[in-house]
Amino acid sequence: MESVTQESPTTPAPIHSEPVSHSSHAPILKTGWLMERFAHWSIEQRVLAGFGLVFAGIVVISAISYRNTSVLIENSLLDTKSHELVQLLGSVEEALGAAESGHRRYLVTGDESYLKSYRATVEQMPEYLRYLRGLANEGAEQRDRVEALERLITSQLKAEAGAIIQREQLGYEGVRHLALAGAAKTEIEEIHRLMTELDTTEQRALHARVEESAGSTKNTIALLGLGAFLQLVLLAAVYFLIHHDVAERRRVAAELQSRGELLRAANKELEAFSYSVSHDLRAPLRHIDGYAALLSKAAGETLNDKARRYLQTISNSAKQMGQLIDDLLVFSRMGRQDMLYTTVNLDQLIKTVLHDLRLDLQGRTISWTIHPLPNVSGDPAMLRQVFVNLISNALKFTATRPEAKIEVGAGPRSAGEAEVFVRDNGVGFDMQYVNKLFGVFQRLHRNDEFEGTGIGLANVRRIIHRHGGRTWAEGAPDQGATFHFSLPLARSLR
Amino acid sequence: MTTVKPILLAEDNPRDAELALAAMEEHHIADKVVVCHDGAEVLDYLYCRGIFAAREQGNPVVVFLDLKMPKVDGLEVLRTIKNDANLKPIPVVMLTSSREESDLAQSYALGANAYVVKPVEFHQFITAVKELGVFWGVINEPPPESSDPSA
Repeated sequence: MESVTQESPTTPAPIHSEPVSHSSHAPILKTGWLMERFAHWSIEQRVLAGFGLVFAGIVVISAISYRNTSVLIENSLLDTKSHELVQLLGSVEEALGAAESGHRRYLVTGDESYLKSYRATVEQMPEYLRYLRGLANEGAEQRDRVEALERLITSQLKAEAGAIIQREQLGYEGVRHLALAGAAKTEIEEIHRLMTELDTTEQRALHARVEESAGSTKNTIALLGLGAFLQLVLLAAVYFLIHHDVAERRRVAAELQSRGELLRAANKELEAFSYSVSHDLRAPLRHIDGYAALLSKAAGETLNDKARRYLQTISNSAKQMGQLIDDLLVFSRMGRQDMLYTTVNLDQLIKTVLHDLRLDLQGRTISWTIHPLPNVSGDPAMLRQVFVNLISNALKFTATRPEAKIEVGAGPRSAGEAEVFVRDNGVGFDMQYVNKLFGVFQRLHRNDEFEGTGIGLANVRRIIHRHGGRTWAEGAPDQGATFHFSLPLARSLR
Repeated sequence: MTTVKPILLAEDNPRDAELALAAMEEHHIADKVVVCHDGAEVLDYLYCRGIFAAREQGNPVVVFLDLKMPKVDGLEVLRTIKNDANLKPIPVVMLTSSREESDLAQSYALGANAYVVKPVEFHQFITAVKELGVFWGVINEPPPESSDPSA
């Protein structure tokens, strides 16, 4: 019984079950762990990870299948040997039987022809034994048995040879008891027992191997099935995740598009609104001013000063509202207008701005300090508006000074940004109102002090923001003010 | 002024029309002005049909065209004029409240001869209309009407 287990040196069960458990549990654990990570992975990483797992699964299953098939081939080789051994044992038994009966007939009859089969057996036996040794090389027990068998066969044949010699010398009477009982009775019994043992053991081993092969084949089929299933599951999971990602992207794209459309619609509406403001609001203002003028012309002589002043006020208010509307339209246009990006030479720009403002400078004493300015990237018309507004402001709020001092310069550059400031020695402002400064229609001075609609700095901020820059200001009452803004530097300066 | 050619003023707003006429009054050209109250009327005048079927033949010396008008708007009228070989030579001046860039661009693209934004301030308005009336109605030499037999 022991020999059966020893016969199969490769213990198949644990070897097979272990990789099976690897291939079945590990990916499940891995996918569980992956699920958490997956959210952070890009689509490429997901696909790579998924296909990596599939590839690893294929490798593991291939290795186990290869191993199982090798075992099957090995077993079939062993089976052939076992069959040969069983066959050989039959031949050996037959030959020994023939030798035994041949020599006994000779002992009885003295007829030499009966020794023919005995001599053939003696001649064949070494060859048989050599075969036997070659076939029974698996398992120490079987080898021991073959060795014992060899000894017994040799001694049987020797005993029979001795009996034949005795017959030749002493005649029938000398070997009578040998002829009746057989020359090697004990050996023959022992040989028969050993051979039966050898045969039984070999048959058992054969049977065990057949069972093992069948089990291994089943195992392999089950493994391949499981592997295919796992690959399918994994592929499905990868497909699902990719699909999910693609669906998410599609959803975001669709949302972006719908928002874009909403934005376009809102922009269009705004455009229609400002068009309406521009066209329809100005007409009644023109009429108010026009008819006030016609009235003062038609009845001017008959009106007293008070009535004339009322008419003048009507006219002035209409004009002021017209100005407000115009400013608001410019402000709205600044937000919608397409921007034209180019390199803007601020030195050149400030020269043209000062030239355009020359009419406002008449009769003023102004000391200008214009420092070199950098080249920036932006829309020239819009940036021109920024300087017009800031310098107009500086001129306006220094009007009360005997000598206005206006300084334009560049602040420190940092990270692709240029900083520009416009400083004046005008009336300044209280820093607690600094947040109102850049608001639409926000004014820090009464209209009878300084004229204006309060849209200039709002425009400056809007333009600078559209360029990706910032605006800020500092000042103190009666101490002048400084307005700063930042702009992206021209590419050549970055 | 042997041949008194009319100035065609297309203005849907009666007050604007009155103010414009008041402005031209000062230069005594108001009586040359024919006022149309919408785009369809302008086209009726130009093609001598509808209420203008019995008018004297001949093209106006200039058309002052408001952009926003009922029925047929200014740009549509402009397109019709500039696509008609007979009407094409008539100078067309857009006289409008709109400063919108798109209106400017479209008007010039369709062949407007001038584009004037009506100033809110009455004195400026009067000056502008007066100058326009004098320039186009008196100073400027209108195109000869080759296809018009009465010319």
